[in-house]
Amino acid sequence: MRIANLFVALAATTLMLAGCASQKEPAEKALAQVESSLAEFRADAEKYAAEELQAVEGSIAKMKASVANKDYSAVVKAAPALNSTIASLRETVATKKADADAMMAAAEAEWTDLSAKVPQMVEAIQSRVDTLGKSRKLPKDMDKATWETVKTDFETMKTEWTDASSQFASGQAGEAVRKAREVKSRGDMILSQLGMTPS
Amino acid sequence: MSTDNPYAQYHVVKQGETLSKIAEEYYGDKMLYPKIFEANKDVLQDPNKIKPGQKLRIP
Repeated sequence: MRIANLFVALAATTLMLAGCASQKEPAEKALAQVESSLAEFRADAEKYAAEELQAVEGSIAKMKASVANKDYSAVVKAAPALNSTIASLRETVATKKADADAMMAAAEAEWTDLSAKVPQMVEAIQSRVDTLGKSRKLPKDMDKATWETVKTDFETMKTEWTDASSQFASGQAGEAVRKAREVKSRGDMILSQLGMTPS
Repeated sequence: MSTDNPYAQYHVVKQGETLSKIAEEYYGDKMLYPKIFEANKDVLQDPNKIKPGQKLRIP
C-alpha cells in the first residue's frame, strides 16, 4: 500500500513537472512579446504617459521574476491582461502625442505671427522714444509720470522679447508664445500711452 | 523705420499747418520738425512746403 502511494505521488510530481516544463516556451514567448510591443513606443510613452508606463514596467518585472522562479503558468496567465494594458497604453500615447503635435503646430503658427509684429512694434516705439528723448518738453497729452512709465515698460518689453525669442529657439514654443503675447500686450499699452494709434 | 511698418503713425496735413506745428503736436517740441521731414523725403522736397491732404509719417 505504501509503495502504491509512493508511485502515485511520484507520478503526480512527474506530471506536474512535465506540465510546468511545457509552459516554459509559451511563457518566454509571452514575455518577449510584451517587451517587444512596449519597445515600439517606449520613448513616446516616457514623454506622454510616464506613470502608466511605470505601471506596465512593474508588471513586466513581475513576469520576469515569475520566469526566473520557473512559475511559467503565472506568466502565461498574466500575459493577455498585460497585452491588453499595453495596447491601451499605446492608444493613450498616440492620442497625447497627436494633441501635443497639434498644440505645437498652433504655437508655431502664432509665433510666426507674433515674431513678425513685435519687432515692428519695437521699431516704431523705439523711434518715438528716441525722438521724445530729444524733445525739450513733452507733448501736451503726456505728463512726466507717463513718460517715465513708457521708458521703463519699453525696456521691460525688449528684455521680455529677447527672453521669448530664446525660449522659442530652444524649443519651448508654448512658453515662448505665452511670453510673446504678454510682450505684445505691453507694446499695445505703450503705443496707447504714446498716442500712437496703429494706422 | 520701414514704410510698411503697421505701427507707424501718420498725420494728414490740414490747412495752415507747418512741419513745426506738427512736430510740436506729436513731440512737444517744434524744433524737432527735421525728424518728420527726414522721414518723408520721398514726398517732401522742402520742409517749408507741405500741402493739405498730404499723409506724413510721424517717426
